[in-house]
Amino acid sequence: MSDIYQKLEKIVSKNYISNSEYIRHAYSRNVDPLLQGVPDIVIRPQDTQEISEIIRIASEEKIPIYPRGGGDCEFGGSKPIGNQGIVLDMKRMNNIINLDEDNLIATVEAGISWAKLNEFLSDYGLYTGCMGPGSGMTASIGGGISHHSVGGGGCAKYGACTNQLVSLEVVLPTGEIIETGSQANKFSKSPFNRFGNGPDLAGLFCGDNGIFGIKTKVSLQVFPRPPYAEYKTFVLNRKSAQVSAEIFSDIRHKGIDVYDAMYIMDLVVNIGCQQGLFPMWEDNLKRKKGIFFYTIEANTEEELEAKSKQLDEIILNKKRTEELGSEISDGNIAKWHYEEQGHWQFYHNLWGMFPALEPLTAECFTPINSYPEILTDIDMWDVEHNDEIQKITNITGQRPITGSGPILLIDGCNVELTCGFTSFSSYHNGEYHEIIDEVNIKLWKSLLERVTKHGVQWYMMGEIMSQIMVEIGAYPEDFYSFMKSMKKTLDPNLILSRGKYHFGGKK
Amino acid sequence: MGRYLTCPVKEALGDEAFEIYFSRGRMAILKSILEGKLSLSRELAEYVYQCSECGNCTEVCHMTQNDNIILNTSKWIDHVEVWDALRRDLVKAGYAPLEKHARLIELMNREDMKNPYGELKVKKYEWAKGFSNIKEKGELAIFAGCTMPLRQRETLKNMMKILEAAGKEIAYSNDEWCCGSIAMRIGDYKSVEEEVHHNIDLFKKMGAKIVFSPCAGCYRTLKKDYPEYIGEDLPFEVKHITELLIEMMNNKEIPFKTPNSKTIKVTYHDPCHLGRHMGLYEIPRDVITNIPGIELIEMKRNKNNAWCCGAGGGVKSQFPDLAVEISKERIHEAIESGAEILLTSCPFCVGNLTDAYNEMDSETKENIKVVDLIDFIASRL
Repeated sequence: MSDIYQKLEKIVSKNYISNSEYIRHAYSRNVDPLLQGVPDIVIRPQDTQEISEIIRIASEEKIPIYPRGGGDCEFGGSKPIGNQGIVLDMKRMNNIINLDEDNLIATVEAGISWAKLNEFLSDYGLYTGCMGPGSGMTASIGGGISHHSVGGGGCAKYGACTNQLVSLEVVLPTGEIIETGSQANKFSKSPFNRFGNGPDLAGLFCGDNGIFGIKTKVSLQVFPRPPYAEYKTFVLNRKSAQVSAEIFSDIRHKGIDVYDAMYIMDLVVNIGCQQGLFPMWEDNLKRKKGIFFYTIEANTEEELEAKSKQLDEIILNKKRTEELGSEISDGNIAKWHYEEQGHWQFYHNLWGMFPALEPLTAECFTPINSYPEILTDIDMWDVEHNDEIQKITNITGQRPITGSGPILLIDGCNVELTCGFTSFSSYHNGEYHEIIDEVNIKLWKSLLERVTKHGVQWYMMGEIMSQIMVEIGAYPEDFYSFMKSMKKTLDPNLILSRGKYHFGGKK
Repeated sequence: MGRYLTCPVKEALGDEAFEIYFSRGRMAILKSILEGKLSLSRELAEYVYQCSECGNCTEVCHMTQNDNIILNTSKWIDHVEVWDALRRDLVKAGYAPLEKHARLIELMNREDMKNPYGELKVKKYEWAKGFSNIKEKGELAIFAGCTMPLRQRETLKNMMKILEAAGKEIAYSNDEWCCGSIAMRIGDYKSVEEEVHHNIDLFKKMGAKIVFSPCAGCYRTLKKDYPEYIGEDLPFEVKHITELLIEMMNNKEIPFKTPNSKTIKVTYHDPCHLGRHMGLYEIPRDVITNIPGIELIEMKRNKNNAWCCGAGGGVKSQFPDLAVEISKERIHEAIESGAEILLTSCPFCVGNLTDAYNEMDSETKENIKVVDLIDFIASRL
C-alpha cells in the first residue's frame, strides 16, 4: 500500500492525503453509527483531473474507492464496506462555477453543500426548488444527485432533486471524464438541457448510490423564489394516517400546486410533546394527535388566497380537523419549516429524542394510498419482534422506538416515508454492549425487508439496503443481471463503491 | 445566514480540513475509542487541541434558534463538554498537555510567577499603582486576570478611569493568582487545585461580596468552573465587567461627554467565554447602546452564532497561525457589517483579533479598528 500511497500523494500533494488511523476512523461512519468500515487512505482531491488520475491508479491496483460528500447517508453509503480502500472526500470541491442568470442554471462542483449553494442563490432571489435532503446544511449536491434526495423542502412542488438536474460531469471508474445532456455536444457553450444528444446518460448516475461514476460537476435548474407564501398547520384528531393520505391524494387530484405538504404521525407528536420537543403544541393541542401542514407559494396575493382557500376546504372538510394559529408559537410548524428552513434541522434530531439513540432508518418512496397500510404493518412488526427488542430494553431501561417520522408529499402521487427502528447505541452508561449492535443489525435488516415487501422504492441504499435488495431477491433476475453487466462494463475491476449490491458475487 | 459554516477551525484550514478537524469526525473517533477500536495517543492530542472549544457546533447542530421547537439533543449533547472530557482523558493518559500548553502550566504554577506569561508576580500588579480608589479589602473586588495586567495594561487603567468617574471604589489584591483557565481548558484540572483554593480564600479574606472580572475567560472560570471544581457555591457573586457597567449606566453614574454630531457605527464580537459558554449576549449590547452617539450594527453571525475569534481552547498558544487565520475571517465580517469599530469584551479576543488585524493590508485596516469595550467607553468620557 505504501507504493500506492506515494503515487496518490504525487497527484494531490501531501497535505491532502492521509493514512493516519485517526483520520481513517473519522471517515469510517456516516449518520448511521452502526455500520463502520475503516478506509486505508483518505484523499481530498481539488479537481476533476485529480480524481481521474486517482481512479486510474485505483483501477490498475484494483483498490476499492468510495466517494464521500457530506457523509450524511443513513444506510452506510459514503464509507467503505468492510475495512478497505480509499475514501475520496469531495468536500474540497465546493465552488460555484457559474450562475447562468439568463437561463436559470447553476453549475457547481459536486462537493458543495445545499446550504452553501442556496445561500449564494438567495442573493439573487433564487433557490434550488427542491432544497436537497433534510441534512442539506452539510449534505453535498453530488450526494443528493446520487440518492434522488428529498426532505429539505420544496419536494411537493419540485420533486426529488434529480428532477432539476441539467447536466453532470462524471469521472467513470476507468478514469474517463464525460459530460451529459447538452454538454454531450462539444459545441455547446454551457449546460442548458438534460435530454437529447442521445440517451439520458445523466439518469444512469442519478440515484446510482455512487456505483457507476464520481460526479464532479453538477448543473441544476434554479428558480425564482415567489414573493408570496402561506403556510398552515392542522391537527388531525381522527384516524390521522388515513386522513392525511386522503388529503395528500385530494391535493394531487385537484391539481393544487403546493410547495410542501407533510404529515407527522401521532406517535412523534405524542412522544415529542412528552419530551419537550414541541413547546408550541403543549398547550395548543388538546389531544396529541397527528399534524398536517402545507406551504404554498404564489406570485400574487390573489393566487395565494385562491390556493389557500382550496386547500383549507379539502382539509377542514375532514372530520375533527382543526387549524392551528398562524404563528409558530401557535403551533404553526409549517412557518418554521419555510421561514427558518426547519427542514434541515428537523429530522436527525427526532432520532435524538433520548440520549444515545441512533437512527436505523428506512426511508423510501411509496404511493400515497399505500402508506397507511405500511404504518399499520410496522406496528405489527414491532409487536412480533418484542422479545428481541426487549433484549435492548433490558440493558437500557427504555424501549427503542419503532414507527414513522414525517411523511412528505413528493412528485406525483407519492410520498417519502421516513420510518424505521430508532434504537440505542451499544455504548450505554459507560459500558460497551456488543449484543445491542447484534440485535440492532438483525432487527434493522428485518424491518427493511418487511417494508421492501410492500413494494416501496428505496432511494438511499448505501451498504445495508443495496445488499438486502439482492439478498432477499427483490430485484427481478433480469433487472439485476442488467445492472450487473452495466457495472462490469463501466467498472471492470469493481472498484467504485465496492460491496454495494453484492456485485462482487457474495450473493 | 452562514449557519452551515459550523466550525471555525474547519473553515480556516480550508482545503486541508479533513473531517477529524470538526465535530462529525471527532464524534466518529470518540465512538471508536469507546468501542475499544482506537487508543489515545499523542498524535490524537495534536488533532484534538486544534479546536477553540467555541461551541458553535452545538448551536448549529442542536439549536433551532426558535423557542417553540426545542431539539432534544440540545439538552443532552454539549459538544464543549465532550471535547473537554476527551482532553481530560488525554492529560490523564499522559499524552497532553502539548509542549506549549505544558510550558504555560509550568509558568502558571511557579511560585515566583503564578501567571502563564512567565512574568514575575510583582509585574502583574504594577498596573494598579497610583489609583486611590483601589483598596486592599472591600465588598466589590476585581479579579484582573493575567492577560490584561501583563499585556493590556492600558485597558485596566481605562477601566479605573471609568470607575473613578463613577465614584466607585474597588478592592484588589497583589496576591491574585492565575484563575487556572488555561489549564482547565486544556483538560489539566489537577494542576489548578492550589490556584482555585488560593483565589477563593483570597476573596474571602478581602471581604468580597461581588467579584468582577474584565476578562471573559476568568469570568467563565470563576463563575462556572470554580463552583463545579469545589463542589459548592462560591461565597461571593461573580460578575463580568459589562454587568457592572450596565448597572452604572442604569444608575447614570457614568458621565459621558456629549457626542459630536457624527454617529459612530460599531459592531460587537461575542467572546465565546461570555456568549455561548455563559449566555451573556444582551448585557454587552445594552452597554454599547447606552453609549451616546453610537449605532450598534450586528455582524451577520452574532450572539449564539457568532464566529469565534480562534484564540480559545489553547489554540492561540499552541497553534497561533491557525488562531490568527480564524480571526481574519471575523474582521472581514465586521467590515462587511459597515461598522467602523469592532468592539469586544475579552482580552483574548482583543489580542487575537489585533494580531490578525496587524497582518492585514493597509486598505483593510482603514475600514475597521479593534477596540476593547472598556477602552471605547473611557474614550467617551
